[in-house]
Amino acid sequence: MLKNLSGKLLRFAFVYLVASLVLFTAVKLVPGDPVSLRLKRPDPVRVEQIRTELGLNDPLPQQYFHYATNFFRLRWGNSLISGRPVIDEMTEFFPATLELTLAALFVGIFVGIAVALASRWSRGIVLRKLAVVLGALGLTVPIFWLGLMFIVIGSLWLGWFPVGGRFDYSLGVPDGSGFLLLDGLRSGRADIFLSVLHHLTLPVLCLSLYPAALVCGVFRARLKDPRLLALVRALRAKGLSPAQIWFKHILFLLGAPIITVVGTNFGALLGGAVLTETVFSWPGMGRYLVEAVLNRDLFVVENGLLLVILLAFLVVNLADFLALVINPEARQK
Amino acid sequence: MKFSKTIELSVFGVIALAFLGIFFTPYDPHEQAFREIAFAGSSGQHWFGIDGLGRDFGSRLWRGSGNTVAMACAAMLLNLALSSLLLSVEQGGPSWASRIVRLTIGLWVAVPVILISLVLLVFLKPSPGSLVLAAALGTVPFSFRQMRIHWLEQRNALYVQASKVLGADRRHLLTYALWPNLKPDLVGLLKLVFAICVLDLSGLAFLGLIGDPDFPELGAILRQNQAYLFRSPALVIWPGLILSALLLLVHSSSSTTASKSSR
Repeated sequence: MLKNLSGKLLRFAFVYLVASLVLFTAVKLVPGDPVSLRLKRPDPVRVEQIRTELGLNDPLPQQYFHYATNFFRLRWGNSLISGRPVIDEMTEFFPATLELTLAALFVGIFVGIAVALASRWSRGIVLRKLAVVLGALGLTVPIFWLGLMFIVIGSLWLGWFPVGGRFDYSLGVPDGSGFLLLDGLRSGRADIFLSVLHHLTLPVLCLSLYPAALVCGVFRARLKDPRLLALVRALRAKGLSPAQIWFKHILFLLGAPIITVVGTNFGALLGGAVLTETVFSWPGMGRYLVEAVLNRDLFVVENGLLLVILLAFLVVNLADFLALVINPEARQK
Repeated sequence: MKFSKTIELSVFGVIALAFLGIFFTPYDPHEQAFREIAFAGSSGQHWFGIDGLGRDFGSRLWRGSGNTVAMACAAMLLNLALSSLLLSVEQGGPSWASRIVRLTIGLWVAVPVILISLVLLVFLKPSPGSLVLAAALGTVPFSFRQMRIHWLEQRNALYVQASKVLGADRRHLLTYALWPNLKPDLVGLLKLVFAICVLDLSGLAFLGLIGDPDFPELGAILRQNQAYLFRSPALVIWPGLILSALLLLVHSSSSTTASKSSR
């Protein structure tokens, strides 16, 4: 396992090197001068001065070295559009995306498992076909369209949910981590907590469809495994109650493939989060990065994209490692 | 007629119909010829109504479907070319090249298509061509892995060994032994890649990364009409329904191909 971990660390270093080099080159290939873009009336002397301050007149290898090392020191420069430090903007937007993605993941896993179990043991045709329907919907319905349909139904027709946004800003932003659900709970402000939950419902339902379909598919396939059925029979013969069989043995055994499938698809989930944020005007990293790319906000692009790429890679590998830890069979292999 | 045959014919029919929209539509999808009846519902003359800028919405949907399908086909072919190239390097090249390809694919798989397209769009102009490139590159790890599985499965099969023992040369082996057995799997894979490309392309267009906001593509049409969601929901419902129906058909066809080849 230690060998596995060191291999993953080496891979992480390789990804960091490749991704940072690609992004650095991409930014250098952008036509035009980023500093002139920043100034309303670019004066050549002032432009030259700022270029020297930012190190843009240094040789390219030196510039790359500065970028690569400053990324870990969290010195990400200022946004060319807002003028604010990139790190400050990221700390604002990143928790919003993470909160949305994690909530969707949690709901997706829960719904996926519940539907798979219901379709496996139900005698009714509707429940039995539910897993097939969920799988088909997860693969074929575009998430951005689903979000718009949720707005039409949930906000326009029923009037139950807000059209967009993260929470009711008239309540005041709570101090803390930027994870508003958590901050609301910690500060004892039930109104903020409920407002965040209210705003979170539609985006989470929308984003959770894909992980729910994936988890349901994997779980359903595993439930048909004859080895698993034999184990259930053996445990039942041993005198264990259904709750003990399920919660102490089977769910634990089925955890590894779920972690693997969720981990390997985390990138797709992040992609879905970008679309969901656009539909629901969610102030997260996805929208922030898309705007940065379209506006050629180079320091945001360089550091924001590198951060998200590294995060996606880390989660995939963390899931792989976790699956290895909880699955003795894979460990032996 | 068998179910699988019906599905195949439906997919072919739908894609042919969509392609037709590139060359022919009842009205010009760009011309704002009906501004005085903007947001009008469906009628005998305008089956899908009129959009907010006074254009025949049916014509825009038809042209949009054609453009989406054409872009997805281009992305699929580019993806096939790239994946085949990488597979041939991995299988036939020196061991260091094989290792580099495997390592690169292993890392590439973690990066979502949207991020790949954002990196590309840092230095490329947002355009349909850039999106095609992004969708093709984004699906390479998936298609490479699938192709590799199928290739290894067939390459080590007994009938290939038997052909080798009987003295078949490389060309004969590839044409008469391997290709007929690889074909169904590859066709199924291509359909799946096509469906993924449709979804990715329309998602990227929805984000506004296609450049021209007026370009009729299903995702871009959805983005353009998002502002009219409350005023005229049909303008948002139709493009998504068409996309979902197309994806459902292609996925069903891909599953029937896969089940046929596994038999």
